[in-house]
Amino acid sequence: MTVRVQLPPILRPVMGGERFLTAEGNSIGAVLSDLTRRNPALALHFFNESGGIRHNIVFLHGGTMVRAKDADRHRIDPGDEIVITNALAGG
Amino acid sequence: MPVSLIVGTPKGAAVLTSKDRRNWEEDFVLRGWPVTASTRDDKGRTYIAVNSPNYGVALFVSDNLKDWKQLEAAPRYRPEDRGNPEHHRLVAKEDFAGILKGGGRFVDQIWTLHFAHGALYAGVSEAGLFVSRDRGQSWQPVDGFNEQPNRTTWAPGFGGLGAHTILSDAKNPNRMWVGVSAAGFFRTDDGGKTWQPKNKGVNPAVDSAPASTGQCVHSVTHDPNNASVMFRQEHRGVHRSDDGGDSWQVIEDGLPVTELSDGHHCSFGFPSVMDLKSGQVFVIPLDGDNFRFPRGGQLAVYRSKNGKSWEPLSKGLPANCFTAVLRGSLAADQLDPGGLYFGTASGVIYGSDSLGESWREVASGLPRIMSVEAYAK
Repeated sequence: MTVRVQLPPILRPVMGGERFLTAEGNSIGAVLSDLTRRNPALALHFFNESGGIRHNIVFLHGGTMVRAKDADRHRIDPGDEIVITNALAGG
Repeated sequence: MPVSLIVGTPKGAAVLTSKDRRNWEEDFVLRGWPVTASTRDDKGRTYIAVNSPNYGVALFVSDNLKDWKQLEAAPRYRPEDRGNPEHHRLVAKEDFAGILKGGGRFVDQIWTLHFAHGALYAGVSEAGLFVSRDRGQSWQPVDGFNEQPNRTTWAPGFGGLGAHTILSDAKNPNRMWVGVSAAGFFRTDDGGKTWQPKNKGVNPAVDSAPASTGQCVHSVTHDPNNASVMFRQEHRGVHRSDDGGDSWQVIEDGLPVTELSDGHHCSFGFPSVMDLKSGQVFVIPLDGDNFRFPRGGQLAVYRSKNGKSWEPLSKGLPANCFTAVLRGSLAADQLDPGGLYFGTASGVIYGSDSLGESWREVASGLPRIMSVEAYAK
């Protein structure tokens, strides 16, 4: 169940400039957990003090925007690509 | 001797280096990250604190100021820690993480980093103190400070409830000080287990607070090797203590005194720094809390040679300057003769290699400058 994950530009320096990482899981939540297990420095950025996904992070998957609150139940397939970004703010 | 400046801005850090303190090379690192504080440890490693409303608080480290690596740990409160509702109200517009909805206490910014006696300390908002004894690999809350009984009386300043000043005693590892806006100044004499407010002689800025807290300390400076002589830029004026903060006296002879929004007459400003070799102290007054820019637009640094009276130093500084210099944006390189550097909220860095006798522009075109630290190699 390997998927490709695109990091937002601001987080790429955390991973040495990498744009894409790979992780495993059958839901976005599971992929995020595997991603931070493999790359612990990312955990601070994805999860808040209570362990929840930071609310302003959104995921783009196959043309669909997935909110953090729906990450655990949003199913994905092997070979899919997930884009991690944040909800637009400002004008 | 080469000097490096780390300049924190909302869009990254300017790294300025110079061999002669006149010609500067500039790099801009950690692009996109709000950079709020930096420090250097006894092995020459530089730490930079960042915060993002989307992706939280973190620390980067570098041994050469070019290659930066993020640490896996950062200061964090426990999920069960309860937050200050008034601080929540002030920072709610940037609660992109959503945690305030649960009433929790969380670290939304590292205001200051301080290295002393082999440990790295972080002062944060929501106000608290954290320590790392493994150079940032792990962090522990200093519960003696964070959970002291008078916390219930703490009220945030305009910028939130933040612990922005940490000072230490080079001769006594059990003694430290922490300043919180707008709760006041605190000291421990037992290595952080217990803390006492040290605000006697300073008027409370928060009307409803008891006299022991509610003071709006803006910054405090001293010589760690003569630690009990302290200079304090308060919302309500500049003060001096000769007993480690047990008592304070106003010292404003020569400073521009003005009427604050509450009618109190005193000087006003944010940063302060001491040149350790000469003992001279420097502040940058603003024309009160209504205007928050230099009086008449004349940007000036004020110096005290004797720790009692002040003189303006403005040679080379603009006379039409209507911006501010924020709390963390004044630094000294501690060379001989001493170099001073400060940054404005409009993104200009000024430097002096003559203890402020004359100034020149070091860099411009930067975003709002939130912190400046100077390091002599």
